[in-house]
Order: sequence, then C-alpha cells, then structure tokens
Amino acid sequence: MAGLDLSILPQQLVNGLLLGSIYALIALGYTMVYGVLRLINFAHGEVFMLGAYAALFTSWALGFGPESRGQPPQSSALYLVIMLLVSMGACALIGALIELLAYRPMRNQPRIASLITAIGVSLFIQYAGGLFLPQSPPPAISEAVSPYRGVMTAVLKPPPADLAATIDEIRAREQAAKSLAEAAKAENKPEAKGLEEEYRSIQRDLRAKVGEADSQTVRITVPHGQLIMLVTTLVLMAVLRHIVLKTKTGRAMRAVSHDFDSAALMGVNVGRVVTLTFIIGSALAGAGAMMYATVLRTPLSPFLGVTPGIKAFVAAVLGGIGNIPGAVLGGLLMGVVETLVVWAGFSGFKDAVAFVVLIIVLLFRPGGLLGSSKVEKV
Amino acid sequence: MVKRTINQTWAVLALAAIAACSLVGCKEPETAGTGGEGTAKSSGSETSSTGVRRALKVDGPEVKGDKILIGLVAAQNGDQKPWGDDSVKGAQLAVDAANAAGGVNGKQIQLLVGDSNSDPVAGKNAAQKLVNDGVIGVLGEVASGTTQQIAQVTYDAGVPLIAIGATRTDLADIGSNFFRVCYTDDFQGPVMAKFAYDDLNLRNVAIMTDAKLPYSVGLSDSFRKAFEARGGKIVDEQKYQQKETQFSSYISNLKSKNPDGVFLSGYFTEVGPIVSQLRQAGLSVPVFGGDGWDSSELISSGGEAIVGGFFCNHYNSKETRKEVQDFLSAWKQKYGGEPGTTMGALGFDAANLMIDAIKRSTSLKAKDIIAAIDSTENFPGVSGSITLKGQGGNPSKPALVVKVTKDGFVFEKSYSPEELN
Repeated sequence: MAGLDLSILPQQLVNGLLLGSIYALIALGYTMVYGVLRLINFAHGEVFMLGAYAALFTSWALGFGPESRGQPPQSSALYLVIMLLVSMGACALIGALIELLAYRPMRNQPRIASLITAIGVSLFIQYAGGLFLPQSPPPAISEAVSPYRGVMTAVLKPPPADLAATIDEIRAREQAAKSLAEAAKAENKPEAKGLEEEYRSIQRDLRAKVGEADSQTVRITVPHGQLIMLVTTLVLMAVLRHIVLKTKTGRAMRAVSHDFDSAALMGVNVGRVVTLTFIIGSALAGAGAMMYATVLRTPLSPFLGVTPGIKAFVAAVLGGIGNIPGAVLGGLLMGVVETLVVWAGFSGFKDAVAFVVLIIVLLFRPGGLLGSSKVEKV
Repeated sequence: MVKRTINQTWAVLALAAIAACSLVGCKEPETAGTGGEGTAKSSGSETSSTGVRRALKVDGPEVKGDKILIGLVAAQNGDQKPWGDDSVKGAQLAVDAANAAGGVNGKQIQLLVGDSNSDPVAGKNAAQKLVNDGVIGVLGEVASGTTQQIAQVTYDAGVPLIAIGATRTDLADIGSNFFRVCYTDDFQGPVMAKFAYDDLNLRNVAIMTDAKLPYSVGLSDSFRKAFEARGGKIVDEQKYQQKETQFSSYISNLKSKNPDGVFLSGYFTEVGPIVSQLRQAGLSVPVFGGDGWDSSELISSGGEAIVGGFFCNHYNSKETRKEVQDFLSAWKQKYGGEPGTTMGALGFDAANLMIDAIKRSTSLKAKDIIAAIDSTENFPGVSGSITLKGQGGNPSKPALVVKVTKDGFVFEKSYSPEELN
C-alpha cells in the first residue's frame, strides 16, 4: 500500500473531477425521471451503453472501422460533433421508446410494478445487446477520430534550478558517451563493450536525476480531449438549466414534478412532458457515453452501462434524487472520492467506499446533500 | 409528510436492491477459492510451486465403444474469445490429422468442445459436462484462473488434463494428472526481468497487477523476485481489477514514483487501455509484460501507445523450424491466414501430445494415459520441444521476447531455461 503522496493530490483531484463529470451527466437522467415520475429508471445505464455503441457505429460509418487497414481519414472535430449528435439522438429515441413501450402502460399501476418493469427493461437490453452487438473482443473507438490527442500541463511548483542544471550537464555527457559508443561499435573496436557499458551507466544516472527532479515537481497534466469533455459537460448542464428554468416546457416539467395530477388539471400535457423528460435525460446519457467511449477510449460491451449506471444512481441519491444541481454535485463527489481511494492505495475498496459515503450522507441528510422539500424538483 | 416517508422508503429499498445486484452480479469468482481443499492457493502472495503433486484417488475411466473422446475447454464467448477460438482451431487441426492417418488402434478421435465463457465457474461446469460425456482426457484452458477450476474436476474424475496456456506455476500441484504445454510464470517472470535489466537497461520498474487474475498476481510476484534478485528496484505496484476501464488515478500514483519502465502482468483486454492512458498522462517509459498480452486485439485497443512494447511469448510464426512451418501451412489450408494468437499453436501441441500419449499408452485407461503423458520425452511441438518426464507436469521450454509493432509482433530475443542463470 502506497503512502500518501501529497505532490500528486492536485492531479488526483483533477482526475476525479473529470471522471465525476461523466457520472454527473448520467445522474442527471436518473434524477430528472425520478423528479417527474417518481420512478427510478434502471434502464438508464443501458441507454448509456447503447449510446456508446451508437458512437462506435458512427465512427465506423465515417471510415474508422476495424477492417479499414488502410489509411483512415484525417481526424477532425467535425467527426466528433457528428458522433456526439448521433449518440445523443439515438439515446433520445431509445429513451422515448422505452417510456412509451414499457413505462407508460404501467403509469397507473402501483409503483412497484414500474420499478420491476425498469429492472426488466435493463436486463432485456443487456442480454439482447449480448446477442446482436459486437462484443468479443470488446471493440473500442479508434483513437484516430479525435484530433485532440495532446496534453496540457500546468506546473504548480518547478524543480529546483540547480537540479535542472545538473540534468542538462548529464544529458550532454550522455549524448557524448552515446556517440562514442556507437562509433566504436561501428568500427568494431575492442573497447566498444566498455564504452557501451559506460554509456548505459550514464543513461541510468540521467534517468535517476530526471526522476528526482520529477518527484520535486508538482504539476497537473490534462489531456486535451478530457478538457473538451469537461467543457462539453458544463455547456450541456447550462443548456439543461436554461431549459428547466427559463422555458415554457421547463415550467411544465416543474409543475408536473410538483404535483402530477394538479398539473394535468391545469392543462399541462403530462404525457408530452414525461416523454420530453426521457428524451432530455437520455440525450445527456448519450453525450456522456460518446465521450466515455471516444475520449476515454473505453472498450465496449453490452454490460458497459452497469457500473457507471450504478455509480450515477448513487450520485443522484447522494445529491438528493430529483434535484438537478444535486445530481451534478453528487456525480463530481463520487468521481473525486473514488479517485482519492485509489490515491490512498486502497484500490480494492474503490467501489465499496462510494456506498459507504452514500450511507453516511443519508444517515445525516436523508434527502441527500441538496435534497429538501423546499427545492423545486424536476 | 407521509408521502415523503414513502419516497424515502422507496429510495432505500431501491438502493438495497442495487447494492445487492452490484455485489452479487459483479462478483468475479476467480478469487473465490479453488473449489476444493486443493493445495493451489487462489490469490495468496506465495505463488510458486511447492513441487508436491497430489496423487490421484480414483482410477478414472477407460475408452468404451469405437470412438475416443477428447474434451477441450475454451472461451467461445467473452473477453478471451480470441484465445478460445484459436485453441479450438489448433486442437481440431491436430485431431483431423490424426484421424486422417487412421486414428488410434483403428478408433477415430472426436473432439468435444465446452465453452468457458471467459469465466472460471462456467469453465468448471463445462469440464464437468465433458467428463460426464465420457472423455478420456481434457485439454485447456488458456486462463490460469479457469484452469484452476477445471483441474479440480479432472482431479476428482481421474482423467488427464493438458493445459494450453495456463502459466501460473502452482497449478501443477493440484494433481499428478495435470500437465501443460506452455512454460510457467516461474520462468516467464525471470525472462522479462533479465530482459528489462540487461537489454532495456532499467533499474526502477513499477508493476501493474490485475488483482482479480491469479495469473497476473503470480506473474507479478515472480517478476518482482527475479528483478530484485538482479539488483533492480520495484518502485511501485498498482493493483487494478479486471473489467475496469479508467486507470488515471492508478497512473498518477505510479507516475509520482518515477519508474523508468512499467511491467504489466495482466491480460491484453486491460493492458491496451492502460498503456494508452499511460501515454496520455505523459509517461513515456518502456512498457513490457507476459504472454497475457498475446492477441492482435492488443494493437487495436492500445493504438499507437502500445507500439514499442515487449512481451514474453511461446513461439513466433517467423521461426524456420519444420514444425512451425508445417503447422502454419496446415492452418492456412484449413482456416486461411495465420493464427491471431499463439494459442493456435499451443492448442495444436496439447492435442497432439494427448493423442501421442494415447498411442503410446499400454491401455486405453485414463490411468495409463496419464503415465504415458508423464513419460513424454522430446516431443516435437510447434512451440518447441516438450519434455515432461520427471518435470512434475511443467515442461522446460524456451521463451521468446517479442516486440509490438503496428503490423504485429516481431521476434526480439529467445531465452532457454539454462540462459537465465
């Protein structure tokens, strides 16, 4: 078990936030559906999984398929946008279909019937996916799709100047030794072996010094792709906030969330609002799935949605289910907690700790972190 | 008020359901024990063989009827399908050749395939079914965790088991009916340690282990011992778990220890994404691992990042030995192309070894076939000459280090057991 290394704490917090932003996107779908229907949509993780496959198939259609052994097309941001939109659209459609075919007939039944239906839909999609989706070996979206493959590094504390100078000096010696050794080898001189050994020993010194300098540097490295992922997530959340708070549809959603029957009596088209809720929630999951598969290059399988689904559900409950800012907060918190557990060297307990945090929060705030009867639910 | 309480009750109930699902549904049985009071340890830190093989308690079956049934357990589904498919094809090739040459004592051989579904428990059930169907010997598996389970079944039934690619060393202790055609991790680990120390000039290596794979735990352990014995230092070991997909937190931990190389002892399914994320995090040191890397999928999941990595393998299709070239041309004739993994060759070797032993056996009883396998000497396998006599089930064979390139795996260096000392 590794000790706590404070110099990588900033990096680990960033890792956690990046991971958490995906959880937050999925958690939004859970929380919105719960807010409107008081239904936990267990099939949400499967919508997420199908979104990832939609992105995969789009990338294949764009020419980044596994068979095209030849030169794939030039990577472009446009492809990413197309994949994002297709994935969101496919998920929105699937979400709406699930609502129409599975949940709507159960609308007036006891709530447990809907809940069991949700579990049924989830299992159905997983195993039907197992029959029809490519899965073994797990396909991954080609990295050639994304033009954003660089990294951004922010140095918080540079290495000591004298160490940097030492490294430069050793590097010069290493280069000299290398060319000497290579020359000797090319001419088959008897001292070639000795020179080679000397070069390798200098090379080791260099590595050791570089390592020493590295350990005294505090820096944060973020791949460009993940930065874009975070920005996209924030933009989508802002759009969602605008829809819910500033538009007529949003007002209808809030009304339905507040009181289903009264809203219907006041002339709100409840069926349409519920469908819209599923569409928006699923589209967000689709966006999350596309980025999960493309930027993080996760290998896909029909069970891809299970773990993120559970985590996002916990995140939604943690933040206060039915509460939009709560879902975001819960998601980010889950990502950070998970990362910090690995940082502390207890990777085996990674998933368990998330549940422990949830239990502790629910003990003290049964409604979740931001959940209270005062907050408007959507 | 009442409504609110009900909602909370729902939330708690649903949560309990979810928690139960996640605990039961996602539980990987590989670390759950060896399924018996066997001497093999499932995930302890001590992984090397004790050298004591349990004697069989039963006499085992004998061939009845006019057909000789041989069982093969292989992953027909799941992550390890590339290995499973190749082992089936390889074994079938061997059986077809034997049948074309007249079979054994006028009896034709039939290969029965059971699906392990890339899962130890399913593998155990498949082996049990094969034994119930009356096979006289079992071949497989590739994964050590699955083989551990199969070996319990074959031990109880008293039929010989020839493992195809299971390298974990202590598997041979399960019973005196256990054999394999691959080298063990006690050899593979030191080979990569020597290669890393001498050829890559590394001194401070970090290890990434798949804590859920008995194979990975065992290989990391044997690498660590060998590398430290040479004077190198293991600066860090990170333990992830099979089927994880995001490794950034492990990588940040590892990076802070400034390794000059990373040894990844897991399977290609995770190694590809890890190395890809490793490079993204700005760590550019050499990466290397064991035969768990062996699949052309590694190149597609690892992308450009994995190019330049090294791993230990059983044979290479560029070798000029007659066995290799004959095997490749037979493969090409039947299936087209070349096998995507070395399990094609190892499956072929395992089946041929079994058939050869049945021919040499004094009777068609399982007991005598086990004795015949145990006395194998200089069997000309595709993956090198196999001698099992006096070896306790583990053949002494050379291992190759291959380099990952964009178009495939290229031979880099070969080590024989004698060279390691």
